Amino acid sequence: MIEERHVLALLDDVLSLGGRSARFTRDTPLMGAIPELDSMAVVSLITSLEERFGLLIDDDEIDGATFATVGSLVDFVARKQAA
Amino acid sequence: MRAAPPFEALQLQACRGESRFALFHAAHTLPGGAARGQVVYVHPFAEEMNKSRRMAALQARRLAAAGFDVLQPDLRGCGDSDGELSDTRWSDWMDDIAGAASWLRQRRAAGTDAPLCLWGLRAGALLACEAARSRATQIGPCQFLFWQPSMQGRQVLQQFLRLATAGQWARPGATAGSSPTLEALRRTLAQGQAVDIAGYTLPADLAQGLSQATLAPPPPLDPEGGDLAWLEVAPTLDDPTGGAAAPALLPASDAGVSQWQAAGYRVFTQAVTGPSFWQSVEIEEAPGLLEATTQAMQAMQARVGAS
Repeated sequence: MIEERHVLALLDDVLSLGGRSARFTRDTPLMGAIPELDSMAVVSLITSLEERFGLLIDDDEIDGATFATVGSLVDFVARKQAA
Repeated sequence: MRAAPPFEALQLQACRGESRFALFHAAHTLPGGAARGQVVYVHPFAEEMNKSRRMAALQARRLAAAGFDVLQPDLRGCGDSDGELSDTRWSDWMDDIAGAASWLRQRRAAGTDAPLCLWGLRAGALLACEAARSRATQIGPCQFLFWQPSMQGRQVLQQFLRLATAGQWARPGATAGSSPTLEALRRTLAQGQAVDIAGYTLPADLAQGLSQATLAPPPPLDPEGGDLAWLEVAPTLDDPTGGAAAPALLPASDAGVSQWQAAGYRVFTQAVTGPSFWQSVEIEEAPGLLEATTQAMQAMQARVGAS
């Protein structure tokens, strides 16, 4: 079961946050709020989510809102896993 | 006494009068001693190559200190090598890897039997595997060392193509359709045309070779079977009780490992805690991986020497 802490661990890894993700909550904004989260980091993040959790993510399943907050990203991953 | 230089920069001869830039780390052996093994490093694709350069260099130095010759060529169109990526063919990369293996074998001290190992990171593991398969005669029997191996070239290509489409998610308010879709990019490649993504011009032939590449094991050329070391890094993950969970291989890797075992390879696997240095925003080091890899390589040679 993918939990928030798994997603935070991946965020920390890809974005080189050095543990800062420990202070994140569901409401923490991501896209636009974290400068490291550019399009290349987004791709790395999707790759990590796919590989680490065995998901297959289609291009049209993602939009800007997916990465709005920690919560929106966790919900997206949970929906994918349940599918 | 002057210390041995850590590495030499070389120009390897390649096809069509071209050359390939390579770093060569000579094994640290006593005078008259021979290298215990020879390693060709196959780098990953695009930005992953750049981000992982430091880790590759650190590992090469450690392996040299442990008695291995290590050759790190830049493939055609990559890094400091001749050729543009835009007119590079998949077969060029296969030839480059085979050429590097040949160069090392020719360097091997007469009468010694240092085994050859193809070491690949991410897509580099795929390239190493496909080269061993398609250039078997030239490369000969070899061991494999995989770092976080990509198992399907199709996926590597998709991850790369995504760079073009991800821009629309990264810019708040960007309108849909402002970036090409994955479908449109694939159509362009299928029509034999190159695509421009993130500063790279990827030609259709290379994309096709990559999309057909898999990590399926080539038959071991040694009747005693082959050797593979499969290593991965995983981010730290605290378990709910506050301790750190032991790192494990990615879920999909287990099937790959079984496939290699079934094909007659002795497979050593290990996952260590560390950053995904080939893709992280900052250049990172994974000391645990350096240590684990050096030990795994030493063990692989000890097994060979004992047989």
